[in-house]
Amino acid sequence: MGAQRTQLANQRMLAKLGVIAIAMFGFAYALIPLYRVVCEVTGINQVVKADEVESGAGTELPPPFAVTMDFDASVQAGLPWEVRPVTRTVQVRTGEFIRVDYDITNRSDREVTGQAIPRYLPGAAGEYVKKLDCFCFRQQRFKPHETRRFPVVFVIDRRMPASIASITLSYTVFDVPAGRT
Amino acid sequence: MAMTDVQQAPAHHHKPSGWSRWLMATNHKDIGSLYLWFSFIMFLSGGVMALCIRAELFRPGLQFFAPELFNQFTTLHGLVMVFGAIMPAFTGLANWMLPLMIGAPDMAFARMNNWSFWLLPPAAALLMLSFLVPGGAAAAGWTLYAPLSTQMGIGMDMTIFAIHIMGVSSVMGSINIIVTILNLRAPGMDLMKMPMFAWASLITAFLIIAVMPVLAGVVTMVLTDRHFGTHFFNAAGGGDPILYQHIFWFFGHPEVYIMALPAFGIISQVIPTFSRKPLFGYTSMVYATSSIGVLSFIVWAHHMFVTGLPATVQLFFMYATMLIAVPTGVKVFNWIATMWEGAMTFETPMLFAIGFILLFTIGGLSGVTLSVAALDIQLHGTYYVVAHFHYVLVAGALFSLFSAMYYWFPKMTGRMYNERLGKFHFWWSMVWFNVTFFPMHFLGLAGMPRRIPDYALQFTEFNSIASVGAFCFGLGQLIFLYNILTSLKNGKPAPALPWEGADTLEWKIPTPAPYHSFVEAPQVEADHNGSIVSMHGDKHH
Repeated sequence: MGAQRTQLANQRMLAKLGVIAIAMFGFAYALIPLYRVVCEVTGINQVVKADEVESGAGTELPPPFAVTMDFDASVQAGLPWEVRPVTRTVQVRTGEFIRVDYDITNRSDREVTGQAIPRYLPGAAGEYVKKLDCFCFRQQRFKPHETRRFPVVFVIDRRMPASIASITLSYTVFDVPAGRT
Repeated sequence: MAMTDVQQAPAHHHKPSGWSRWLMATNHKDIGSLYLWFSFIMFLSGGVMALCIRAELFRPGLQFFAPELFNQFTTLHGLVMVFGAIMPAFTGLANWMLPLMIGAPDMAFARMNNWSFWLLPPAAALLMLSFLVPGGAAAAGWTLYAPLSTQMGIGMDMTIFAIHIMGVSSVMGSINIIVTILNLRAPGMDLMKMPMFAWASLITAFLIIAVMPVLAGVVTMVLTDRHFGTHFFNAAGGGDPILYQHIFWFFGHPEVYIMALPAFGIISQVIPTFSRKPLFGYTSMVYATSSIGVLSFIVWAHHMFVTGLPATVQLFFMYATMLIAVPTGVKVFNWIATMWEGAMTFETPMLFAIGFILLFTIGGLSGVTLSVAALDIQLHGTYYVVAHFHYVLVAGALFSLFSAMYYWFPKMTGRMYNERLGKFHFWWSMVWFNVTFFPMHFLGLAGMPRRIPDYALQFTEFNSIASVGAFCFGLGQLIFLYNILTSLKNGKPAPALPWEGADTLEWKIPTPAPYHSFVEAPQVEADHNGSIVSMHGDKHH
């Protein structure tokens, strides 16, 4: 192979490999929608799965059974929130509509906006707790030192495996920086 | 195009001298030496941080450092060792040896090569200087997990920028390695004949091109989350901190093999030489290396078993991870089979290579333990993990680098190193390495968490033992430095073939390697693993 031809071949390969490198940088960003699609298709991230409304006809639901629900909340250090479940624990039956309340206080002297993120323990219970109303559905704006009481209304799906005897629902409240609402 | 001056390079018949020889270096041997010295300096810097960590952990309670500073040490120790010491050392070794081993005149893009090296010192300076800025260096652990990394001070921005620069450097270095291996091999040096070190470097370079940009991408997301109002990892804005871990480990697991495959390549050259036998199962070695490279892309979530992955996902990543033990086992088997009934001698490179096989296998076994999801949930974030990855990175990557340096030192410098000091360095490192890291298995099994400056009283004895071991191991590395420095000056002149069993191309040229080797490509007849049957038509300056 002549020197000129080697040089040309080298440059071609350099260009190709450079394109791969740049494409992989883009791939890091493409991973974000990719993960969402994979989770939706395979149904592995149960908590954010959209519910399907069935006709209900012809399906036999298992009988209701008793479940202990514990309510918890946490705030990261340094954030102005105080979050308190009014009901700490409650005995419920599957298929039953439940309403509990949370008190959220803004302990700071400024107006703040918060966003609550729910979490379930055990994680597998998450897909069976159907929330009908929740303060976590939207961002909440608070005046300085304001306390508000929020309802959480949910029903536990009767198809939940009976092996789950108790569920903890825990909220973490995050600060939404000003201007991002 | 200015970058491709390989063909013009031999026109300079004399060496450039003074500082410009190094600053404007385009010779692969000069750049290789720069890389190797840089990585050794970074190795010592990262080592000092490790000793600070071990000093603090010698006794329970807080003795020397505030927890914030301790966290900065653990973070920077990891980053400096991974990106400053191990990766550049392998790139430097590839620069030095690849053209000699495959009969190329130089690397394909000599000026880009200069640029890839000279990006590294500024990146290292950014990392080191970040200790001095308000808030100190990054303290989120070398993995820079969000949301920790989205909160810290300017030290984190400097770290992110350093990672960008080192990423660009290693991608350019890898492009150079790939093009050199694929386009500049001497006639007769077929792909399925070339040395395993070339194969390992080639596959590693592909891994780097595939994943370093992903790391650059994820730290860029952290940067825009920090300063430009994006919400990639901010739960309040609809983002997800777990997403960071997914993207990071998509880079991070191939990165593990980026640090291991070149080591496999070195060992596959050293073991046959000192066993005076051809490498057992060369073809299976090539396929094993390739399949490790491919599999490394589908196992990342085994770092995330405690993030609440569904059981099906845990099972997939568990089985995929265990699968990697198969090609790795093939390699270990082949090395042992190479030694089997060989006429072995135990010079320093061979000692380090055997030490590598022994200790890397222990690290591999604890890796298989950790791949079991049910066990990992118990062991995650404990010292068991610390023990595991130091067995594969210190006894793996580092020992292979020592092996390589002792093996090729005569070819690089034309002088012999001091064999007695070399053997002493090996035994000293072997003993104190195990004193340092073996107790960490027990600490981890007993539940001691990593990255914390204090610990419960029952962990005291093993921690004290590990700290003594670490200081002895660290001091022992000065033996290596002393040996290199004195041998460079006063070492015995090396014979043309210092190792009886060495038969690859780099041993067929004069010693020390001429400044411009293979000005004209030789015609070679090669057998497996680059062993040369006959060669003619080589020309050097």
